[in-house]
Amino acid sequence: MTRLRTLQGPALILSLLALLWAIVIVMLLALKPSVFGLSTMTTIIQFSTILALVSLGQAMVIMAGGAGIDLSVGGIVSLSAILTMLFLKLGLPPLLLPVACILIGVLLGLFNGILVTKLDILPLIATLGTFFIYSGLALALTGGAAQSGVPAWLLSWGRGVVLGIPVPFLTIAMPAFAFAGVVILWTAWGRWIHAMGFNERSARLVGIPVDRMRLVLYGLSGALGGAAALISVAWLGSARPNIGQNLELESLTAAMLGGIAITGGRGGVGGVFAAVILLVTLKTGLLQLNVNTVWQVGIVGALLVFVLLADRLSQHWR
Amino acid sequence: MSAPFLVAKGIVKRFGALTALSGIDLEIRSGEVLALLGDNGAGKSTFVKILAGAHAPSDGDILVEGSPVMFSSPKDAASAGIATIFQELALSENLSISENVFLGRELKRSIFGIPFLRRQEMRKRVDGLLTELDTHISDPEAPVGSLSGGQRQAVAICRALNLNAKLVIMDEPTAALAVAETRKVLSLTRRLAERGCAVVLISHNIADVVEVADRMAVFRRGRKVAERLRAGTNPEEIVSLITGAHPDVRALEKTN
Repeated sequence: MTRLRTLQGPALILSLLALLWAIVIVMLLALKPSVFGLSTMTTIIQFSTILALVSLGQAMVIMAGGAGIDLSVGGIVSLSAILTMLFLKLGLPPLLLPVACILIGVLLGLFNGILVTKLDILPLIATLGTFFIYSGLALALTGGAAQSGVPAWLLSWGRGVVLGIPVPFLTIAMPAFAFAGVVILWTAWGRWIHAMGFNERSARLVGIPVDRMRLVLYGLSGALGGAAALISVAWLGSARPNIGQNLELESLTAAMLGGIAITGGRGGVGGVFAAVILLVTLKTGLLQLNVNTVWQVGIVGALLVFVLLADRLSQHWR
Repeated sequence: MSAPFLVAKGIVKRFGALTALSGIDLEIRSGEVLALLGDNGAGKSTFVKILAGAHAPSDGDILVEGSPVMFSSPKDAASAGIATIFQELALSENLSISENVFLGRELKRSIFGIPFLRRQEMRKRVDGLLTELDTHISDPEAPVGSLSGGQRQAVAICRALNLNAKLVIMDEPTAALAVAETRKVLSLTRRLAERGCAVVLISHNIADVVEVADRMAVFRRGRKVAERLRAGTNPEEIVSLITGAHPDVRALEKTN
């Protein structure tokens, strides 16, 4: 514990998450050693891909402050998947399917951004509203039925595995995280996001285009939701109107676990990624142990409280 | 005497039925510290906000280096060489000193349109400014949240200098500072003027003002009631001008 005390910020978060992950693995190993294998790892990463992309968008929106939050991410994923497949049926060239899916996500995200920046609606309320609109629309348009007809080439991308690692993870999630990490750490945009998240008034006084940045970040969250929708379609072989269910809660948990301050201005993307892996490992483990889903949600919540408490205590020690 | 850097002529500001400023004439010269004095609500902050581009005047003209200007935002004022150090300093405590000094106008190298930071260069520039101002801050990478009030003022002044400001407006820079820190900030203010900047200082503290200002303008109820050179006045006279007890002010107020 003494070593933990000397760590700060991202290093503390990452080592806590690694510790928790090790505990989860050891417990799983003791209770059900048979689950360990390359296929389990592939499954975990496959499930992580969608949550990772959505959590990344969520994290960026929260980091930029102004009470930023995107509760509509699940709705964006469901509706982008559904709309894309409906457009395909209406004659959209199949080759344009990936572009269309991400573009629809961007538009849905920008709509959130306009509500928040131009109409000054509190993000919590604005995105709660669009969450109902988007997920409701996804159900209404399909009557709850999955939309099939995904082209074969897309399936082979979505289900491809290289060295035990799913191809969508390698081609979309990893580059997205690498890009976001570089932007946050080494570019002026990253400084602006941290500055406006921490003290929006001063960011405006020095001339940072706060509203434009925020609009772009909601659009980005939408784009990542669209990318997650694309992966779900290419992996599952159909667009499901409920594919985004619970993503808002899980992505929020991942962002918080990953060290993003809910008030904005603090955190990086590395922690978010580690938190996603931890969450999905835990969920997969609980599934393997046949733990009731009600308990799964409770355990994830307890984990969130534990990490926030640890962060709090580490500030007290200093 | 050289031509003034900024001339304000007949500045009027009305907020609805309330007249906050009526007919302010003022000249601001380079290399000079001008103090604006006055009670709460006298109009000095409103006047400074007009100079800083935060408010537009209802009437009157502002000339910068002889040519008339219209500021519609603080950015316009900044590009005319006017930097304002607000009371709350506009610093981001979670960022480092050098990041704060360059916030909003970072030195960057664009790769595929992505603005990568040139940290080394920014660090060096800030290091130079900190030494030049003799601030005793050794590490430009220290977070601003760890600095004292006076050191934060110094960072805000570095920021203004880095913008190549020709006029620095300081709003109550010593209001929340301890005695030693106040000394430090006042000497920073002098040094700014010696560098050839015009400095406008708003303060309630007459002792501070008398020590550092070359010229003082007293505001009362939205008008400029007096202007004095430091050599030609004393703290007692200034106090009576501010409170309205001075015969000049009484005469002025009687005529209206």
